[in-house]
Amino acid sequence: MRDWRTFVQSKLAKLALPPGTKAEVIDELAAHLEEACAGFRKQGMTEEAATRLALSQVKDWHKLQRKIQNARIKENAMTNRVKQFWLPGLLTLVLSMGALALMEKFGPKPWVLAWSAGLPVAMLYIPWLLSLPLVGGIGAYLSHRAGGSQRAVFYCIVFPILPFLAATLVVLPFSLIFDQFIAHNVAPAALLMALLGWVLLPGVALLAGGLPVQIFVSRRLSSGRITGS
Amino acid sequence: MIRAGVKRGTAELAVLSILQDGPLHGYEMARRIEEQTKGALRFTLAALYPMLYRMEQRGWIRGTWETSNSSGRRRRCYRLTPTGKKKLSPLRREWAELFGALRRLTKVSHA
Repeated sequence: MRDWRTFVQSKLAKLALPPGTKAEVIDELAAHLEEACAGFRKQGMTEEAATRLALSQVKDWHKLQRKIQNARIKENAMTNRVKQFWLPGLLTLVLSMGALALMEKFGPKPWVLAWSAGLPVAMLYIPWLLSLPLVGGIGAYLSHRAGGSQRAVFYCIVFPILPFLAATLVVLPFSLIFDQFIAHNVAPAALLMALLGWVLLPGVALLAGGLPVQIFVSRRLSSGRITGS
Repeated sequence: MIRAGVKRGTAELAVLSILQDGPLHGYEMARRIEEQTKGALRFTLAALYPMLYRMEQRGWIRGTWETSNSSGRRRRCYRLTPTGKKKLSPLRREWAELFGALRRLTKVSHA
């Protein structure tokens, strides 16, 4: 009689699961093959024919290994990442951009902050900045509620400024260096003003709302755990 | 409107339906489905277990190790969870919708 466990173990040697889970999968598949073989034997097949027929259920063990791994790990990991980071992060981005669009259309004129006497300038939408703590708080709450780590919660809070930060750090220096219409001596000031208006101040505003929510929810959770224990 | 994932859904429906009668291990599940559908639906090991693990991750079914009284063998038995029970009726509706659509398309009528 064939040792099905050893056989399955050799076929799924590269199955990247925690040891206990991997052993369970191997045991389960081995039991299935053993039972299938016994079933074919009961139908009057020889040991060899029954074994061959049982083995024909798996054409490609590598593919099966990948499918099992995906089913047991990736879907869950992806769901967690989506719930803890992408959904709250994108929501804060949409909310902050929506608020900015509304302020630009219906709000008061922006406060223009000029670097020394001339260009460049930063346009500060004060009502928008005042709305950002709420947005940051919502992002922090949703990420924390979904079980997000402290780092995930932090990135959700500052998610709306990440595109601005990337643009400021990558696109703007490039455009300043290569654009012949912009004088080179403006570059450091322009970069600083862009960082101030679109990254630093909104970031501070987002964190002003997000961090207290994160601290508050964490404390409530830990006090709940102590009460529960 | 029939969803694109209805094909996979029908396989999941077969598993959920068979587990409605009680907990079963994988081999027995495949055997009963084949028997009850007169061979129309066959689950190989390669098709069955990734699906069972996916359904378990979603919380539709739960697997626990049990030892058979008669053979003494350890088997992982699956049973429906409350979430799985709730999932049954929308899947049944999609199944019926698919067959209704195919019937209209091919103009096959019941005798």
